[in-house]
Order: sequence, then structure tokens, then C-alpha cells
Amino acid sequence: MNKANLKFKIIDALYIAMMTVPILFGIVFNTLTKLPSEGITITGAQIYFVIPMPLQDLPITSAQINSLLVIITVLGLCLYLTHGLTEKAERKRQLLAEWIVEKTQAMVNESMGDFFKGYAPFIAAILAISALSSLLSLLGMFPPTSDINIVAGWAILVFILITYYKLKGGFLNYLKSFTEPIFVMTPLNILGEIATPVSMAFRHFGNVLSGSVIAVLIATALQGLSSIVLGWLPGVLGEIPFLQIGLPGVLSIYFDVFSGCMQAYIFAMLTMLNVSGAFPEDEYEKRRQKKLSKRSKA
Amino acid sequence: MQTLDIITINLWQTLISLANLLILFLILKRFLYKPVINTMNARRASIDKDYSDAAQAKLAAENDKRAYEEKLAGADAQADSIIASASQVAKSRADQILDEANERARSIKVRAEADAELTKQKAQAQIKQQIVEVSSAIAEKMLERELNVNDHGDMIDSFINQMGESDGTDN
Repeated sequence: MNKANLKFKIIDALYIAMMTVPILFGIVFNTLTKLPSEGITITGAQIYFVIPMPLQDLPITSAQINSLLVIITVLGLCLYLTHGLTEKAERKRQLLAEWIVEKTQAMVNESMGDFFKGYAPFIAAILAISALSSLLSLLGMFPPTSDINIVAGWAILVFILITYYKLKGGFLNYLKSFTEPIFVMTPLNILGEIATPVSMAFRHFGNVLSGSVIAVLIATALQGLSSIVLGWLPGVLGEIPFLQIGLPGVLSIYFDVFSGCMQAYIFAMLTMLNVSGAFPEDEYEKRRQKKLSKRSKA
Repeated sequence: MQTLDIITINLWQTLISLANLLILFLILKRFLYKPVINTMNARRASIDKDYSDAAQAKLAAENDKRAYEEKLAGADAQADSIIASASQVAKSRADQILDEANERARSIKVRAEADAELTKQKAQAQIKQQIVEVSSAIAEKMLERELNVNDHGDMIDSFINQMGESDGTDN
């Protein structure tokens, strides 16, 4: 019993390390490799090295590293939460795990319907990766969501899903849907189809990026104000931007925490609505019945 | 080291991010949803089992109760019948004993009456004899041997007999 208990605790410690070490590593790594910025500079992710690839070289940037760290952290969290599950729910973490599962399932069931029951983990993955990526900026790391490529990747996956479900109603029906309500609308319809992932990607990217842009602007402005108002102080005291204390922290609560979680929720919501809205249920059911009757005849 | 521009489109980065989301989806599905849902299903199954067990136990208990009540009612009836038959037996037995007693009493009475009759007749015969003797003695004395017992015995007997009969009717 005691030995088993010890083993359980050691595995627990490993999982906790799996959750925390990537984040700590990320903080240290990002801080050490951060380039000194002069004045107002707003840049994208830092490039560590470049891998030559066909079509386009692949730069390995802090956005890539950080999203990898997020995935490892989430994996550690999952393993920790589901470690030692019992029917009687003896551990508190099991309650959290069940709460997450039931909440996401209820959310998916409510907005997507029964057919998309299996989408709960996917929506949870979107929520987790998006929210955690945005929240990394709290720790002084580069938030991967302020890189357009990252969110574009997610949006393209959503677009693939949308198209996949539209095709379930039949390829001809899919093509025909572009000519509705009239033939002239076809270019607009195609544009609208493409606009969905683009708008999703840019909404998320823009919101997170604008947060950091405003943060930089305000910090710089406060520095300037500080040097004007408090510049008369003797020696080093006059160079310390005292006015930077306070306000950026409060703004960070909105731009980093609230906006980050909000965008994750919005992205997940839009995914659910677009994917379930793309699925022509009646048409699919009709085709399935036809197929079944054909099979039974044969 | 340099940084990217704010907006740079890179095909490979996009694909890697897409793959990352898919990988995270698979991780969540395999390491969070599957075990948790399995556990919840197992719990539901065990709860269902407990409920059905309880329902079965209740059913069995009710059956037992019904059987017990039936038995109890049967026992009452049985007790009644036992008492009834016992009292029947007792009554018949009592009647029998009474009959026997009556019978015996009657036979005793009959025998006693017979005895009494016999004794009475004996006594009458004795008395008759004595009276014959006494009267013959008296008559002997009175007639001073004029009266012969052998000659006058019949006459005296008839006389005494008449006397005895009148005696019996008086009593």
C-alpha cells in the first residue's frame, strides 16, 4: 500500500513537472534570447534558425517553440488530471477532469447537435491551445496567437472541416450551392466561402496583436511622460519611469487575460457554428436512406 | 538573430500549426476524454447495477413477506382446526365416559335392587318360617297338644301367607 502510494506520488510529480517545466523553460529561454528593443518597435516572432524547405524556407521562431510548449503542458495536465481515476471520484482533480469533459460536451451538444457529439475534444483543444497561447504573454513570452500563421493554420483546419461537411450533402449539391440564389452571385459566394477562415484567423490574430501593440504604445508613452514630469529628480532617479507602474498592469488584465480567453471562446464558437451550419442534415439523411434502400435491394 | 515582420505568411508554419491543433485534439481525446468517459460509464453501470440489485432484493423481500403472511394466515386456520378437532375429541370422549358411567351406575343400581329384592325375599321367608314356628309353638301351648303340627300346618301356612301379602301391600 505504502509502496504503491509512493509510486503514485512519483508519477504525479513527473506529470506536474511535465506541466511546469516547459513553461519555466519558455520563460527563461524567451528572456535570454530577447533582443533589446529601442523605442517603439513592434515585431513578429523571433527567428532562432531557418530550415530550408521546398517552396519556402521554414524559420523556427518563438511562436513555434511556444506552441509546442503549450501542447506539452496540456499533455502533462491531461495525464495529471486523469491519473488515478476511480468510479468513486476519490481525488479532487477527477472532479475538475469530469467538469471539463461534461462542460465541453454540453456546450458542443447545445450548439452543434447530437450528430457532432465527437467534436467535444476538438473544441476543447481549440479553447486550450488558443487561450493558453494568448495567456503566455502574461509570462513575458511571445504569444503564438499574435503570429498570423498559427491562427491561419487553425482556421484552415476549420475550413477543411466546413467543406468536408458541405460535401456530405453530395458533390453536385455543393457546387450548386455556389450558384444560389442566382447564377451571378457565384463569385461572391466563392469569396464568402473563403472569407470565413480568413476572417476567423484575422479576428483572433488582430485582437491579440493589438493588445501587445497598445501595451507597447502605452508603456512608451508613460516613459515619455515620466521623463517630462519627473525629469527634475537628481541622478538616476530621474531616469526611472515611475509612471509605468500600475497602469500597464491593469491594461494587461484586459488585453492579455480577458481578451485572450474571449478570443479563444469566440474562435471555438465560430468553429462550432460554421461546422454544424455547413452540414446539410436533411440532404445527408435523404442520401443515406437512398443508399440503404439500394443496398437492401441488392 | 532577427525577428519576423508582424505579418509574414509562411506555408510551412501554417501547416505545422494546423498539425499542432490536430495533435492537441488527439491528445485531449486519448488522454482526457477517453479515460474520463470510461470512468463515468463504469460508474453509471455500477450505479445501475446497484439499483437493479436493490430492486431485486426488495422484490425478494416482498415475496418473503407475502409468503410469511400466507403462512401466518394458514397457521391461524390450522390452529383453529386443531382446537376444533381437539374439542370434538374431548367432547366425544366426555360423552363416552359419561355414558359408561351412566351404564355402570344403572347396572349397580339394578344389581343392588336385585340384591335388595333377594334379601327381602329371604327375610320374608325367614320371618315366615319363624312366624310359623312361633305360631305353631303358641298354638301348641294353647291347644295343649290338641293341635298337631302335621295336621294343622297347611291351615297355618295359608293364614300366614295371607298376612304376608297384606304386609307387602301396606309397605
